Amino acid sequence: MMWKEKYRLGVDKIDEQHEELFRRVSEFVLALRKEGQWEAKLPKVKETMEFMQSYVVTHFNDEEAYQQSIDYTGFEQHREIHEQFKAEVGQFAERFEQEGFAEDLVQQFAGKLMAWLINHVAASDQKIAEYVRTKGEGN
Amino acid sequence: MKAEYINPFYQATIDVFKLMLDIDVIRDQSKALQEMLGKKEVGVVIEVTGDLTGCILYRFPDHMILEMVKIMSGMEIDTIDSFVTSALGEVSNIISGNAVSSLFNRNYKCDIKPPRILIEDDKPICLDGNQVLRIPLNTDIGKLQIHMALKENIH
Repeated sequence: MMWKEKYRLGVDKIDEQHEELFRRVSEFVLALRKEGQWEAKLPKVKETMEFMQSYVVTHFNDEEAYQQSIDYTGFEQHREIHEQFKAEVGQFAERFEQEGFAEDLVQQFAGKLMAWLINHVAASDQKIAEYVRTKGEGN
Repeated sequence: MKAEYINPFYQATIDVFKLMLDIDVIRDQSKALQEMLGKKEVGVVIEVTGDLTGCILYRFPDHMILEMVKIMSGMEIDTIDSFVTSALGEVSNIISGNAVSSLFNRNYKCDIKPPRILIEDDKPICLDGNQVLRIPLNTDIGKLQIHMALKENIH
């Protein structure tokens, strides 16, 4: 997964967190896709799940606080997207525990996570930057 | 089928391909479309509920799916496995979600169900016996098709 400059919103804290998310998910995908025994890949899988569950919450909270600070009109809708994603990550984590981190299920999670993150940063979050630009022009 | 609820899916596909993959999508004029999935194709079905009911089928050739996931992951991908189909399902889910948001702005309140992956020779039941509109689309990495079978619920 390649971080692209066009993803940058112009808010340092949020941009750094997005880059970190891209870096971590990339490492996760690389670890899953490399040759080797599934058991050897499990520590990375577990580490990523723990990271996603804590870091994503921190990032979403920071992003939502920023949105409120600028009176972002799409705040509620954006918060709903965050909540849905947190719930989906939680559901996967629960299934991983119950089904013993089955390879097929983890691969499914990784595919979804990758596509979700790209869309969220490349499209949904760009609406915040667009709002800031439009608001600036209106002043 | 009304253009009013066809265009949001077409436009959402153009937007999502551009934003997520940096790929341009244009309408293909070809008429030769098959009912069943071809041997080298994968389909994603999204069921639509609410003011419009029915389903949308996105059909992608194998080589195009591998290229899409390669663009997203930055890695060489040579097999269609759970990772690949899940990423493809999410892209189709995002397209449909955006289309449904656009429909909401046109006073159609709809929802979508999670994506379902179809393999070769499958045909989704929701397309059977319904009027199906097929939209062939062209990109630099292959041709995809959107099959739509949507009915308006009268209140």
